[in-house]
Amino acid sequence: MKKLLLLLLFASPMLLHAQGSQVNTQGIKALGISGAGSALFVDETSIFYNPGALAKIENNAISVGASAIMYRSAFREQNSFQQYNTKFQISPPFSIFATFGPKNTWWKAGIGVYTPFGGGVNWGQEWPGKFELNHLSLRAIYIQPTLSFKLTDNFSVGGGFVYNIGMVGLSRSIPTFNDQGQPGRAELSGTGTGTGYNVGIHYNLEDKFALSLSYRSKVVTKLKDGDAEFTVPSALASSFPTTTFDAELPLPSSFNVGITFPLSEKVDFVADGTLINYSIYKSLTFNYKHNTDDVIGDDALEDTYQPKNYGNAFSTKIGVNYTPSDKLELRAGGGYVITPVKPEFVYAETPDNNRIMASVGFTYALSNKFDINGAYTFQRILQRTVTNSITGLNGTFKTNIHAPGISLTYKW
Amino acid sequence: MKLLNKNIKYYAAIAAFGLIASCKPTINIDEPASNTQVDFSKYIAIGNSLTAGYSNGGLYLSGQQNSFPNFIAEKMKRFGGGEFITPYFSEEQRNGSGYIRLKALINGAPVTESVTTNLAIRGFNEAGATLYTRYTGTDINNLGVPGMRLDMAFANGVGSVAGNPYFERLLPENAPLTTTYFDYSTSKNHTFFSFALGNNDVLGYATNGAYTDSPTNTLTSIPLFTQLYTNYINTLTTNNQKGVVATIPDVTETPFLNTVTTQLLEQGVTASTGGVFTKIWISTANGAREATSADLFALTFDTDTLGKAVVFGNPRTAGYGLLQSNPLHDKHVLDKDEVLEVKNTINAYNAAIKNIADSKGLAIADVYDFMNKVKVGYNYNGIAISNKYITGNAFSLDGIHLTPMGYAIMANIFIDAINAKYNTALEKVDATQYPAVLIP
Repeated sequence: MKKLLLLLLFASPMLLHAQGSQVNTQGIKALGISGAGSALFVDETSIFYNPGALAKIENNAISVGASAIMYRSAFREQNSFQQYNTKFQISPPFSIFATFGPKNTWWKAGIGVYTPFGGGVNWGQEWPGKFELNHLSLRAIYIQPTLSFKLTDNFSVGGGFVYNIGMVGLSRSIPTFNDQGQPGRAELSGTGTGTGYNVGIHYNLEDKFALSLSYRSKVVTKLKDGDAEFTVPSALASSFPTTTFDAELPLPSSFNVGITFPLSEKVDFVADGTLINYSIYKSLTFNYKHNTDDVIGDDALEDTYQPKNYGNAFSTKIGVNYTPSDKLELRAGGGYVITPVKPEFVYAETPDNNRIMASVGFTYALSNKFDINGAYTFQRILQRTVTNSITGLNGTFKTNIHAPGISLTYKW
Repeated sequence: MKLLNKNIKYYAAIAAFGLIASCKPTINIDEPASNTQVDFSKYIAIGNSLTAGYSNGGLYLSGQQNSFPNFIAEKMKRFGGGEFITPYFSEEQRNGSGYIRLKALINGAPVTESVTTNLAIRGFNEAGATLYTRYTGTDINNLGVPGMRLDMAFANGVGSVAGNPYFERLLPENAPLTTTYFDYSTSKNHTFFSFALGNNDVLGYATNGAYTDSPTNTLTSIPLFTQLYTNYINTLTTNNQKGVVATIPDVTETPFLNTVTTQLLEQGVTASTGGVFTKIWISTANGAREATSADLFALTFDTDTLGKAVVFGNPRTAGYGLLQSNPLHDKHVLDKDEVLEVKNTINAYNAAIKNIADSKGLAIADVYDFMNKVKVGYNYNGIAISNKYITGNAFSLDGIHLTPMGYAIMANIFIDAINAKYNTALEKVDATQYPAVLIP
């Protein structure tokens, strides 16, 4: 009869959603203009930026690119003098784009393998938000076979099928304390898949003015049988069995409009606007295979539901591309992103806010067949003081992102 | 141009340094205002077990180290706070009075055990009560004495071997019987104080089912409480010292009185008697009646006595608590009318506390208000804080005193109150660094 309630409130684990770590580095040329250029750069990276432009490429090409995203967040709890930073880590997105098909005809095929979402934050196990998150890493690899057709010389369309492989790993402290006073820990990892598509149209006037419209569908990534492991005091071990979980992570659709026109003989202006339909990300639910409810008639490990209630995001990017010689292009640009994350739903996984971006880049022709592209972008997620309505974490976040990138293109 | 070339490596170095430095963002904070209104150089903490850092049914070294005044004093150091001395038990006698810890979870139910090693027991008084190793260090700042009541603070003999052993251990040997806690605590030449007395003037009464059978479980009358409180604060502010006072939390909302519920008792009785008995009978001022969910039982209620031939002033018959003719003794239940009496008394105490504090320009740490938030439950940095036993994270195994995490949160109530009243910038304690109930 001295049985007393022992409910281990296992507040929801949470998944990074993409926006916080989304840095588009698929095309190193576009990276040099903060992501603008879908209308200007008609090359193999159009597989990502606008499949509709692909048919306008005269030759065939393969490019391999990589970047080093250095994402560093800081947090200071309200009314505290102590600042905590995420650990320095480099996440290395990569991309491979290749085109196939006869030259100077009305169609072109291509394939792209790229990482549209990816990155990670590692706050460690000592910071005040450790019961919200220790670390999270997310990588989505998109594989996209693509076909594009010229309807007229100036007007082309294209589309691709997207197959996504998503990998996620996260950990957080849980408020169960062993006899040394150390908190417990939950570690989840899993792989999921999803499908979607990417379509676009491209229109240009005698290579002067060009317009790009493209749409990437949402990709709902389903994680099945991810691994869940818990480190808890031994008296609780049976209530937190090693188990598996299912979860669903919707990666949002986006609609992009890009334009370009020459400012002078050597300088082209580019601008892109993107609406990202993040409002589909309403909540995150984890279904554990084994729920335990034998702890005095109550649940220890139960399925979790966490509201996210994202809004839509909008980004604008503008810049210039300068061509001083046949061999060299220089470019620079900047942009602004309006965050989809509402203040009361800012989690440590995505300490997001509106962000400003600035970039520089170049392309240098090593030979007739080889181009090298380089770019560097800096992004600042603006300082934001929030109180999370679910976890109660109250403080100020700020994030800097540095991302250099390089790619090599071989044309034939 | 020449100059540029000459200095280019420096420019490059500056640029590179800027790049690396900017990699780690810096959140700018306003430089904390200098502290002009208050003098933290000698902070003293007057109070009971909560001030002393009592936890898990005992006073012991690690609990003392995690008391709320110690947390506050640590944060005062940045703003002129001086050394804050606590009458710690020695490392050798670190388990002090002894305490309870979780031994196991059996079918998920907590089973506790007493810690009986490394105690600070020096002997026993004539009545057989424990005496603790005397604290012989220098003058102390944490004056918290478990069990101290406002009325007893003014009573002679409370610091004697026959009195409160936690006060007795702080006094020199052969201290005169006239040394009251009031005299002791108001003669420290303090510059700032926290004052958290009064809880025990109602707590002992409430936890004994509103049944008085010793001086530790009387209910201090509201006029007496007001008078003594006023005297105390007047004396503490003689030289215009500033301070912070705490309101009294509602003891009827603690896990101590909300864990063993009528429903649980009924379920147990129904199960163990095969449904022959399904109700719990209690004694009230209006006679015996069936217990309802509005009647509260102590965490320490011995459920094994149910149905037995147990006597607490009742006829020696079997069926204790299960029969109308043999209801639970008054002291084993805080019935709903008594709950109301306790709540009303606490409200009246708190009205007096706020009145006196306001008249003296003191900060008010509204622990009562906070307890109402805990009762509903809330999330602190992803940790569920509530008045649930063990899993609520704030309360220790005794159901009344706090965990280190709970004390850190309590310290923040005081810190917020001080900052708001005196425009100071004391940093809050990161309570996530401190554990809740330890589980083996």
